[in-house]
Amino acid sequence: MADEVGELSSEFASVRVRIDTDGNGPRLRVEDLRTGHVGFLDPLELETLAWLPEGGLHKLLDPSLHRWRAEDQER
Amino acid sequence: MTSAAATIPWDELIEHDRVHGSLYTDPDVYAAELERIWYRTWVYVGHVSEVPEPNDYVLKSIGPQPVIMSRDKQGEIHLLLNRCTHRANLVCDAPKGNSSAFRCPYHGWTFSNTGKLLGYPFNSGYAGTALKSELGLGRVPRVASYQGFVFGSFAEDGPTLEEHLGAATDAFDRLVRLSPTGEVELTAGWLQHKCKANWKMLLENETDGYHPQFVHSSIFSVAASGIGDLYGEKSTAVCRDLGNGHTENDLRPEFRRLDQPLGWFGTDPAKVPDYVDQLTAVHGERTREILVDGSPHVMVFPNLFIAEIQLFVIQPTAVDETVQHVTAVQYRGAPDMNRRMLQQTIGSVGPAGFLLADDSEMYERNQRGVQARNPEWLQIKRGTHRERQDENGFTVGDATDEVPQRAIWKHYRSLMEA
Ligand code: FES
Ligand SMILES: [Fe+2]
Repeated sequence: MADEVGELSSEFASVRVRIDTDGNGPRLRVEDLRTGHVGFLDPLELETLAWLPEGGLHKLLDPSLHRWRAEDQER
Repeated sequence: MTSAAATIPWDELIEHDRVHGSLYTDPDVYAAELERIWYRTWVYVGHVSEVPEPNDYVLKSIGPQPVIMSRDKQGEIHLLLNRCTHRANLVCDAPKGNSSAFRCPYHGWTFSNTGKLLGYPFNSGYAGTALKSELGLGRVPRVASYQGFVFGSFAEDGPTLEEHLGAATDAFDRLVRLSPTGEVELTAGWLQHKCKANWKMLLENETDGYHPQFVHSSIFSVAASGIGDLYGEKSTAVCRDLGNGHTENDLRPEFRRLDQPLGWFGTDPAKVPDYVDQLTAVHGERTREILVDGSPHVMVFPNLFIAEIQLFVIQPTAVDETVQHVTAVQYRGAPDMNRRMLQQTIGSVGPAGFLLADDSEMYERNQRGVQARNPEWLQIKRGTHRERQDENGFTVGDATDEVPQRAIWKHYRSLMEA
């Protein structure tokens, strides 16, 4: 079960967001519409996002962090 | 790199009452203007209302250079050059959006909306992350705003924005005073008109009071507008040199003589009662005077034309090509007035509008005419014999005189010879 929240697009990304209730508690399901890749965020993770300081996501926005990195490269 | 401006004999091309035709056609002159004007002095870029929320951004320009105006999470406004520091792709392409970071579509380099390089794909190719601290987006070094209007200057130091605006600050004050909240919003959207003419043809025309009765006679007759008479031989309106290349057609003497609140806008208070009530709540007894005086008609050098209820931004893209960006002024919190200003703007400068089409035709004909090299000069001497100082010491002339054109060229020459 997943309630559609909506789709959000910018020139940089397109995602579909749903509230997923398949688990024991609700989660936000985020689908990358360009690749079909799906990720989940639970309420505590979302609350953390709400409190992010300026630049709090900068590390995660580095393309080399995980998505575009050589397989054998150490983290 | 040697300076283009240093090799041109400005004193031989610009005289008090005539200017040489090559100033509109010579690519070296254009290169010198980029160096001495567009990439040095204060240039209007955008308005704070165009990036109302944290992480909003809009695409703007300074001359041919593409600029991103962003508002960061703290609310601070940045002017970043829209050029990837890898191999120069445009980082942003959408005219506006909301994003804390920008990812270049070419190879994925990713920047924060403050210009910091956050990373690039497959960083082992760069032997680590050392590049990151060096290759942030270029930025316009100085950013300042007045009444919400954001300007940028590529010079690390020099006059402050308020010093540059000088007496023209009054135009902004008068503009926002007509808004019941004291704020304007540029939220009506922008029209862009490309025309094959040198940018100075536009700059000089915006406060030319000699042409309206001629070029715009058809719209004045169709609209049964009294505007034409404001620029007639009997008009008590004046044109004014505000200093620093800023110029004005001051129509207030005529509006005061006619003594009609909102007459400048072609309407009367009964048609916009909410607006008049709101304004009265703020200004009390002075409201009538404010509504009689109307909105400014001021050309802020080099690129922002405050045209009563519209704004024009002049963007040179080549020596013989200019883009005009046009929007309707909107007063924050005054929907009845805003609707009318938008309608009038669409009628005068929209795709089917008369006013801008008439002017653009003249610009392009001017540009073709000025290719002829005999005679070599353009005459700007009209009204030289009746120039005078007003009570504040500014040079003024009659409504149809060429005081503004002489003022523009005087300032231009001082910048080019600096
Ligand atoms: S040009 Fe932008 S990532 Fe290569
Ligand atoms: Fe390719």
